[in-house]
Amino acid sequence: MRLHNIKYIFLSGMLLFALAACNNDDDAMEPEQIAMPTCDDGIMNGDETGVDCGGTCAPCGDGEAMEPDFTGTYAQVDHMGRPGINTVLSADMEGMPSVKDAFNVTVPSAMVAEFQAGFEARLEQYHDVYAVKLGLDPADVNYQNNILNLDATTLTTVLAADVLQVAPDEVTTYYNGTVGLTGRTLTDDVIDISLILLFGGETGDRFSGQDTDNDGMADLPRLTSDGVSLTATIDAEFPYVSNPQ
Amino acid sequence: MKKSKLLLGLAALAVTGAVLVAADHLDAPSSGGTTADIADFFAFEPETGSANTTFVVDLQSNVLPDLAYGTFDEDILTEINIDTDGDLVEDLVIQAIPRDGRMYFFYGEAADLGLNSEVLVNAPLGDVAISAETATVVTTDSGARIFAGPRQDPFFFDFFQFNAVINPDPESAPLGFLPPSEAENTFAGANTMSIVVEMPNAMLGTTTALNAFNIPVYNTWVTTNRKQ
Repeated sequence: MRLHNIKYIFLSGMLLFALAACNNDDDAMEPEQIAMPTCDDGIMNGDETGVDCGGTCAPCGDGEAMEPDFTGTYAQVDHMGRPGINTVLSADMEGMPSVKDAFNVTVPSAMVAEFQAGFEARLEQYHDVYAVKLGLDPADVNYQNNILNLDATTLTTVLAADVLQVAPDEVTTYYNGTVGLTGRTLTDDVIDISLILLFGGETGDRFSGQDTDNDGMADLPRLTSDGVSLTATIDAEFPYVSNPQ
Repeated sequence: MKKSKLLLGLAALAVTGAVLVAADHLDAPSSGGTTADIADFFAFEPETGSANTTFVVDLQSNVLPDLAYGTFDEDILTEINIDTDGDLVEDLVIQAIPRDGRMYFFYGEAADLGLNSEVLVNAPLGDVAISAETATVVTTDSGARIFAGPRQDPFFFDFFQFNAVINPDPESAPLGFLPPSEAENTFAGANTMSIVVEMPNAMLGTTTALNAFNIPVYNTWVTTNRKQ
């Protein structure tokens, strides 16, 4: 608190200097017209919390410094664990008009019971959409166990408990082809990994834009990569995320 | 930012009625586009063999016009929840809340308040001036590092093509995503409001929670909470 006060006084001084400098340039304002709050002007002004006390002045009353007020109750409005879970797998269901909103105000321990069935239905729905786009019967294009050999129920059960797991004693990777779920780095391609787990089947490349009749054109949809990679700058030093652009 | 392209994309979305989605950017009607909107969350070992764990929380985004962006809201308490025994209930919590140009951090055992929270005023971790362009970083007495301010958004995703992919119209993206030569990262050039905390693992303690590969992990998630 005290350091903060010193900084404030310093800034106030800088502000006075800046205004004076400005005045010299344009002659628009007399220095006497600038009334900066002081700790002996007999009125409560500036950042004072009483007349000439509190804020950058001496503490009011019993000498306790004023701390920021953190009182009150805060109610949850948004939630996130793994990337894209709510946005990709939540879908409105009978009796739950806004599943996405409900998901954001559900504790993780209740998420599987409330959302897994809807997630599994949504996963199958995505496959049906592409069956139609491929001119096939939706009943014939279904989720296939993925590279981790997880069936649809198991995969959506894992994903519905929406927490980001991070291992304190292992290298971080969202998934590197061998091991995964040890965290999420700033450079992990979480979209491609998620697409592979949802649409890649047991080989990981089930729908990856294959040309099945060798005519030089893709015959299967490209669903296991969105085709983009990292464009932001990542720094080696804390806080790692780079200056805004 | 290629604004004209984004606006074109938005117009296309309005026609199809598809839902805007991203990592968590704009994920739901109630929180999307507000000062409380969680854009993204990362948790990682800052370097191989490090004894620390880093958490990055991104709030808000300027990826699309008219989104809340640029100021941390003093009515919004951000919490990083940590479960260390695998029951998906938080055992520890790191809190961040802004006051008068500074971000105040608190850290301690989670109170059992369900979806409500109170600031752990008796467990301060430290505070740091909210940065402008250049990062101001504080290392706390306990060895944690803290930061808050605008940063580049490191998320990457061809967001408009995704919306075309999930559109059930048979004519919409029949071949799925675009090849790398045609795909575009919608988040290129975007900024977000970041809160970054790096904690010594000793402060987080040991964990008995296991991931699907039987590796001990902290189960973590971030929430935003609005003052009532």
